Amino acid sequence: MKNRIPIKSILLILTILFGVFTVAVVAVIDQRVTSKLDGVLWTVPAKIYSRSLEIAEGGKINIGNLLKELQLLSYEEDDNPTNPGQYYYKKDSIKIFLRGYKKQDSALYEINFDGNKVDSLKRQDGIRIDLIALEPMAIGGMYPSHMEDRLLLDWPQVPENLVKILLAVEDQGFFDHYGISLKSISRAFYKNIKAANIEQGGSTITQQLAKNLFFTPEQTIKRKLVEAVAALLIEFHYSKQEILLAYINDVYLAQSGTRSIHGFGLGAQHFFGSSLKNLDTHQLSLLVGMLKGPSVYNPRRNPKNALNRRNIVLGVLLRDGLIEDESFKNFKAMPVKIIKPNYRSETKYPAFHDLVRIELRNNFEEEKLRSEGLSVYTNIDPIFQESLENNIISTKKKLIKKYGKKLEELEGAAIVVDIQNGEIKAVVGSTNPYQFGFNRSLNAIRPIGSLVKPFVYLSALEKYKQYNLTTLLDDSLLSVPVSANSNWEPNNFDKKYHGNVPLHKSLWQSYNIASARLGIELGFDSVDKTFKSLGIKKTIPRYPSLYIGAFEMSPFNVIQAYQTIASDGFYSPLRSIREIADLDGGTALSYPYKIEQRFRPEPIHLVKFAMQQTFTKGTARGYKQKNIDKWNVGGKTGTSDDQRDSWFVGYAGDYLVLAWFGFDDNRPTPLTGRTGALELWKSFIEDIDPNAGTKTTLPRIKYVWTDMNDGKLSGPKCKNSIHTPFIIGTEPNNIPDVRRKCGSASVDEPSSVVKKLKQVFEKIKE
Amino acid sequence: MKKIKLISLFLTIIFLSSCTSTLKPVKTSSSKIELDLFSSSVDQLLTNEDFLKSEILKINASKPSIQRILNESDNFWIQGDLKRANSELERALRISKNESSVFLRLAHIRLEQGLWFESGSFAARGLLISDVSSWERLLLNVYARD
Repeated sequence: MKNRIPIKSILLILTILFGVFTVAVVAVIDQRVTSKLDGVLWTVPAKIYSRSLEIAEGGKINIGNLLKELQLLSYEEDDNPTNPGQYYYKKDSIKIFLRGYKKQDSALYEINFDGNKVDSLKRQDGIRIDLIALEPMAIGGMYPSHMEDRLLLDWPQVPENLVKILLAVEDQGFFDHYGISLKSISRAFYKNIKAANIEQGGSTITQQLAKNLFFTPEQTIKRKLVEAVAALLIEFHYSKQEILLAYINDVYLAQSGTRSIHGFGLGAQHFFGSSLKNLDTHQLSLLVGMLKGPSVYNPRRNPKNALNRRNIVLGVLLRDGLIEDESFKNFKAMPVKIIKPNYRSETKYPAFHDLVRIELRNNFEEEKLRSEGLSVYTNIDPIFQESLENNIISTKKKLIKKYGKKLEELEGAAIVVDIQNGEIKAVVGSTNPYQFGFNRSLNAIRPIGSLVKPFVYLSALEKYKQYNLTTLLDDSLLSVPVSANSNWEPNNFDKKYHGNVPLHKSLWQSYNIASARLGIELGFDSVDKTFKSLGIKKTIPRYPSLYIGAFEMSPFNVIQAYQTIASDGFYSPLRSIREIADLDGGTALSYPYKIEQRFRPEPIHLVKFAMQQTFTKGTARGYKQKNIDKWNVGGKTGTSDDQRDSWFVGYAGDYLVLAWFGFDDNRPTPLTGRTGALELWKSFIEDIDPNAGTKTTLPRIKYVWTDMNDGKLSGPKCKNSIHTPFIIGTEPNNIPDVRRKCGSASVDEPSSVVKKLKQVFEKIKE
Repeated sequence: MKKIKLISLFLTIIFLSSCTSTLKPVKTSSSKIELDLFSSSVDQLLTNEDFLKSEILKINASKPSIQRILNESDNFWIQGDLKRANSELERALRISKNESSVFLRLAHIRLEQGLWFESGSFAARGLLISDVSSWERLLLNVYARD
């Protein structure tokens, strides 16, 4: 008799196997549900922001730049600003309805100007205030490989109105079901038939969340089953509020380049340039309506579809009694107004991003940057950045027009720095500044030409007992043995010798021979010490051509050295980032303002005097005197051998700007520092029109009239005289006989009557 | 005419000289008291960091908007949150670059952070500002003296 396995046992085994299989499947789904909802959903890329523009009563303001800033932030001009993101400008006054940022309320403010000063700041209720802040501009992020971007919201940040609209449209029984709802499926079916339109989907919000989180959009029974199990598990693990919040943060709303926009928080920023809490019912209805088909109902791509869909959502709200008939009519009459796509878009300003990324990677792991929702507040000034980008393009075009097609491959770089605190305000690393690629501002290591000279002259002027601005330097033939049978003989750019020239003239005329001789006289160690104090870390080569610029540096390192000079001897490390905040708003890392006094201000003042003469008499001469006075400008041109590099570094107002042009393959250009880089510098400065710089006081400096050729004492009425600064005690005292007549009426010398009166009053004081 | 002018100038000078000479004994005495007070204050500034801080906190900004930021900064500073105090001071400097009240605070905060050289540098930078009162100049010199 055969042993037959009883059917009951087979069924039992099969049931057990099925049970084990089911448990295993559920366990796998459960593991995915919890890991994704606890982890991936909360993956938020680091966001990078510009500086926030603060406007203070009594402070300086450039009205043109403020209007540009409002445009960049997608503020709309409106005669009667009543909503966040609107402004109205008329002569000497502007009303701005701020969107709000950190402690700054979203409200209407009025600014009155008196020239380039803020005369008064008032709130809508007429109360005067001291300070307002515009929100910073989002300029990009550190996105993970899946390129999902979102702004994570907490429950208190979710407007009640959004929840009402969302539930009315997507899942009316959300608080009653356990993830799947036969009732809601049948109700949706019935409503859709009745409306002859698909107003409501059958899936609950929990099912939609499960689908969004884990599965592909394919419509199969297997997928639907897994989705249903996942929905039940989500309901098992999480509260209704947590599920709704996850959904609000996760829904896909749009595509912006390669970046996908998820969640209502970022959706509000992306389409309305505003935080979710500022949105009105019709705007929230637009966003909720988009869930049905983010591409079909995208208000940028398909504004008509979006408008129709929004109105359907408004109809649902009216039908369910969530809005009154009058409100419905008002909302329905409103056009779909969204911001321009340039705001809150893909990563902008590639060269600046390079700087930020380098800085971030020094302090954070890549994974953290891409997932932990850090907010990176940078120093970039978007107005300066836009201007720098436009001007490097337009300057190149002008140069091509002037010198021909041979300049079509010309490359360039430029950096703008706040002199006082080393904040980097703008950077471009290419003449095509919109593309990521080789960033010349950081990575092009080029001979700096005459840009080295102020460093050499500063070394001399620090030895103030030996050198002053009128010390005569020898600009005649110089021959330096460099090997057994060869000599190094530098030339001037004009191929001439100039004999004995005052030190200041040699600097602003950029004489090579006099400069080389001065460097040799000072010695490598002395110049090296100055280089280090200026912030140059690179070891200097010990050959004499160093003193006239046979020394390679990147634009970034050059401007760092010049920052120390421009800020009167105070070195501040250049900074692209101001502060990094974590997800809850606390400071994760700050980059405080650091300064180190590396030089006494007096010798620096003397170098800056010569750098100012560059504009009036020297290699950058011909610049409008009005601008020289207004911005207190100073600078230095630089041209390397065979004109392979065209450099200019100069300050105007509170800013220091470096510009460079050259070819990547190092072939000669037809440009000098004056004809190339200086053009970019000038067009940028005139465009941004900075406020006048910070004035300093130096009691140990005295100005006297000297002769521009022999450096001896002169007078204001003498020919070729120049009002020259000296460290007190180093000024010349005796006027040569030839200038005794014209020099006697020096403005520095008070008249004899005034002198006597002063003496009398001095006695009285005693 | 010229003689009359000279005589009147001479008489004015004589009158003023006599006034100053009659005041001299009193002035010397009060000056001495003031000088003593001043000297003891300077001694305290150099030796008592808390006294120095209290004096710094009394220095106000020249503009109301900057003063508002200074108040916020001072609150953080008093609570011991040097990072945020510093961040507010940087904010103030971005709005107005020539505020000795800000440089004084930065100099003292760096001192509290043990950054002596930076403290001196902030003070030296503050000393370059035009229109700084004598008292502020003196305070800045306390940090810049090294």
